[in-house]
Amino acid sequence: MALSPTQMATIVVLRVLIGWHFLYEGLSKLTTPGWSASGYLLQSRGPFASLFRGMAADPNVLSTVNQLNMWGLTAIGLGLVLGCFTRLASAAGLFVIVLFYLCTPPFVGYFYSIPTEGSYLVVNKNLVEAAALAVVLVTRSGLVAGLDRIIHGLLRRRARPAEA
Amino acid sequence: MAGEDEKADADPPGQREDESVEKKFDRRDVLRGLSTLPALGLFGYAWSRERGYQQARRAAASAGNAAAAAGQAELNVALLGVGAQGEVLLDAMLRMPGLRFRAVCDIWKEYNQRRAVNLLRKYKFEVNGYEDHREMLDKEQDLDAVVIATPDFWHAQHTVDCLRAGKHVYCEKEMSNTLEGARSMVLAARETGKLLQIGHQRRSHPRYRHCHEKLLGEARLLGRIVTVNGQWNRAVSPDLGWPERYAIPSDRLRQYGFKSMAQFRNWRWYKGLGGGPIVDLGSHQIDIFNWFLGANPSHVTASGGTDYHDPATHEWYDTVMAIYEYETKEGPARAFYQTQTTNGSQGYFENFMGDQGTLVISESEANNPGLLYRDPNAPGWDEWIRKGYVSAPGLQERKPEDEAVVLDVRESVSPDQHRVPVVLRDPYHQPHLQNFFDSIRGTAKLHCPAEVGYETAVTVLKVNEAIEAKRRLSFRAEEFRV
Ligand SMILES: NC(=O)c1ccc[n+]([C@@H]2O[C@H](COP(=O)([O-])OP(=O)(O)OC[C@H]3O[C@@H](n4cnc5c(N)ncnc54)[C@H](O)[C@@H]3O)[C@@H](O)[C@H]2O)c1
Repeated sequence: MALSPTQMATIVVLRVLIGWHFLYEGLSKLTTPGWSASGYLLQSRGPFASLFRGMAADPNVLSTVNQLNMWGLTAIGLGLVLGCFTRLASAAGLFVIVLFYLCTPPFVGYFYSIPTEGSYLVVNKNLVEAAALAVVLVTRSGLVAGLDRIIHGLLRRRARPAEA
Repeated sequence: MAGEDEKADADPPGQREDESVEKKFDRRDVLRGLSTLPALGLFGYAWSRERGYQQARRAAASAGNAAAAAGQAELNVALLGVGAQGEVLLDAMLRMPGLRFRAVCDIWKEYNQRRAVNLLRKYKFEVNGYEDHREMLDKEQDLDAVVIATPDFWHAQHTVDCLRAGKHVYCEKEMSNTLEGARSMVLAARETGKLLQIGHQRRSHPRYRHCHEKLLGEARLLGRIVTVNGQWNRAVSPDLGWPERYAIPSDRLRQYGFKSMAQFRNWRWYKGLGGGPIVDLGSHQIDIFNWFLGANPSHVTASGGTDYHDPATHEWYDTVMAIYEYETKEGPARAFYQTQTTNGSQGYFENFMGDQGTLVISESEANNPGLLYRDPNAPGWDEWIRKGYVSAPGLQERKPEDEAVVLDVRESVSPDQHRVPVVLRDPYHQPHLQNFFDSIRGTAKLHCPAEVGYETAVTVLKVNEAIEAKRRLSFRAEEFRV
């Protein structure tokens, strides 16, 4: 099944918007002196709570988690906006968001003190963003509008003489 | 790697599969490839606007200060000890005009020192980093002041050396973990004629000063204060830990009196390094007991122990309760203080109870920032409300949530509740630091000079003594003087 140019264009828009969100999440953490995920991790509820709380408790793990978070979100954001290594960026983004979701799942009977706007039951915006990233992941829009198209073109060009 | 991943099956989906094998890489590919770049440009624009907005807000906040700074002598400042508290003080000082930072001394070169130096360089200060405070004092001849925030057991030596080198000193509380140390600091300040401010920052907090001068002094709203209580409850705090790759080599740790990295980070828990929670937390508030009662205590009884933690790592008590007895100008008064480090509910506050009213106050703007209760039998406070000393009374009467409950008719009439109408919009330590620098410039007097810090140290350190002695101890009036 082929995607029409309009269908593909909407997916590119979706990708850029998600990328924008990631990029800002990453940069705002990077530019907040002393930012740490520990408060968020300590809030964790649900089946994986002890895992996430454990991350916050160990300072070495925590500082790695913090670095990965700040730089990871920024890199994923750049990748999605520019369509550069799009599949890698969307897979990583999907992974990260699923982690966020699992850390603080909006299940019945869980209450968090991080402020949330809106009302959620099992499905929250993290899950929606994760699903949207899955769409980006499988449709490979970077090859249509994104640096991947250039990278891919150059690689192919170099590969050709070898094939000949 | 990622590139190969893209290459492995790189054909766009759908109908383009066939042509893409044949198609040459052309200008169209480049254009399409770059087509989302403008979104990044837009992001950059939005982000720079956002950052500009934040900066403008910060600038506006300090503009008032900058105006005050015009014509102020610039002071050369060094920081000695830039851990958690050193950072808090630096953050406050960076908002204050008229300071030029010259040097940072901290033995944790790999981490805390580097962080502070980098931060100051970002603010365009040319600062040098030192490990040894004596080397700093030798090389940085034109320093005016040193701000000390090292662990308590270093305060005496650091302060005395800085004063002798001709610098004014702001030294964090607790003045020292020993009375001999604290005494040597008072003497050094006297000998050198340099200023020594001890970091009991509530002494400069505008709300506390308002209460002391106006509400208790001029208006005497509480009448005669007979009982006082205060507390600092803090939740269990984990081992502070450290990033492994920035650990200090063990010979350097030993050189500066620490047995291990764990002890270096959690020095508060160890005898000989800190003084336990009564010193760490209690001294802030017990200092206020003395100040507001206008007296030093005559006796103390105390109980404390390591009830929760492992005494191997927590040499100091985690739970302390103390009762002070005072002879104030108006008669006897008693003060209870509790600090525990196993439960943080209700946080910290001081509560002064007189025969005409009650004052509950804390440093925090969020919790217990200052409430007054007028006893129903006390004369009205209308005059003080008109003068703006206290707010108009709020509705005290609270309906029970459950409509079915029956209130006992003998329940006493609840007193009027008023607010202390003073808020601090700056970081908590800023007024106290400002008072120190103003005193150097000759436009103010120290709010917590060495002698006052010493009286508080005597008051507080005796609690640990009383716990050990398991009996009521008395203070001699001369004990408070050097
Ligand atoms: N006024 C307040 O509200 C308040 C709050 C917290 C701490 N304090 C006080 O501040 C002081 C520091 O506490 P902290 O929590 O920042 O501790 P910390 O352990 O986080 O920081 C202490 C710093 O001093 C450095 N240091 C240790 N020995 C040194 C030496 N000989 N020379 C140079 N640097 C040395 C350490 O490397 C570290 O960076 C203590 O006296 C504490 O009581 C005051």
